[in-house]
Amino acid sequence: MSTDAADRAPILVLERLTKRFGHRVVLDQVDLAVTPGEVVVLLGPSGTGKSTLLRCVNGLEEIEGGRILFEGREVLARSRTVIEIRKHIGMIFQNFNLYAHLSALDNVMLAPVKVLRERRDVVEARARELFRKVRLEHRMHAFPAQLSGGEQQRVAIARALAMQPTLLMFDEPTSALDPETVGDVLAVMEDLAREGRTMLVVTHEIGFARHVGDRLIFMDEGKIVEEGPPDDILERPKNERTQRFFSSILRG
Amino acid sequence: MSAVLGYWQAFLNATITTLWVSWLALILGGIIGAAVGHARLSRSRVVRWMAVGYTELFRSIPPLLLFAGVHYGLAYTFEVRLTPFQSATLALTLVASSLMAEVVRAAIESVSRGQRLAALASAMRPIQVMYYVVWPQAIRVLVPAATGVYITTLKDSSYASVITYLELTRTTLLVREATGKSFEALMVAAVIYFVLTYGISRLGAFVERKFHFVH
Repeated sequence: MSTDAADRAPILVLERLTKRFGHRVVLDQVDLAVTPGEVVVLLGPSGTGKSTLLRCVNGLEEIEGGRILFEGREVLARSRTVIEIRKHIGMIFQNFNLYAHLSALDNVMLAPVKVLRERRDVVEARARELFRKVRLEHRMHAFPAQLSGGEQQRVAIARALAMQPTLLMFDEPTSALDPETVGDVLAVMEDLAREGRTMLVVTHEIGFARHVGDRLIFMDEGKIVEEGPPDDILERPKNERTQRFFSSILRG
Repeated sequence: MSAVLGYWQAFLNATITTLWVSWLALILGGIIGAAVGHARLSRSRVVRWMAVGYTELFRSIPPLLLFAGVHYGLAYTFEVRLTPFQSATLALTLVASSLMAEVVRAAIESVSRGQRLAALASAMRPIQVMYYVVWPQAIRVLVPAATGVYITTLKDSSYASVITYLELTRTTLLVREATGKSFEALMVAAVIYFVLTYGISRLGAFVERKFHFVH
């Protein structure tokens, strides 16, 4: 068993993270630590700050209080250093957000070539490998508009992986998908979890949370209400709000 | 008709002048308009307001007043004496830039915010986001609209006739006086304006196809 201290040092730490939009408090003194290889799933009603939390982690949103440490470095939105940090954090969005004017392959290759300044042939070889991994090697030259939602999301995952990030963040990756394509995306995410990737996932997919998540975090009104191993949270929620939420979606 | 066509050299010079001044105004207006259009989307509220003020001001003043104001107004009030060419270029640039600012703003906004977020998340600097993601898509919306602006600019250049700038319209009016052939002279001008405008449309459509992609 590995007991190397470096393995256990958290890759991401949130300390009393507070985010407001105007007077509305979206995140209220959130504490969270994610260790390497861990799959953390954020659950909770819509509008409780889960997606905002992800956007704070890579500095797309400014925070009003507390601090965020990624690999020991503080994340400061709008600073120069945040760009260095973003190179190590891959993000997958609800609406895929592929670049509409580029082929799937070019979507995947753009940032490694232009941001990391890697050689094109090196990046292309890696991109082809990633298309195999997301099971889309036959769709590499298609444009986003020619792909289904599930295919677009898998390209978006390949695009994030092409940067060789140490943390992957998923912001409701299957919420905008047709039901029949959800499974393909979840299967790819499950593969990534098996590889030991560190993942922070906002989702409403209870099945994924249960089978793939190492730890579930239930959030409501900007606060972490309850957290723990999936079975504990899903089967024996202690908090009354957690119970209400799960009974409504499991019925639903 | 032959009396009018006898002045073909004057018409030719005037056509070149009209093309030149409107082209110059389009280029200058394009540069200023691009800056003002980007300023419309600035994070700073003051910058945004200044950009809106500029756009709305020069878009709402009738071009005729703008030409007269620049040429005579500046001269009488501030003793700034511009040549007719300078006044025409300045007035036309003000009109073209206010129109281009709107075109540029709309073109940028046509690219979804999500794509910009994705580009930022992949560690691109803001200028790289514009260069690799926003502009290549915005140009698709920009080209047809800019073609329209150029056509408007070309036709608005005829207002320069009131400040004694010898472009196509003023030349036409002088030929009309010299020959007394009102209808013929105006017909010649109309045909020339049509050919220029149609040429610009075709050119715009050609450029537009260059930037096409599947979407």
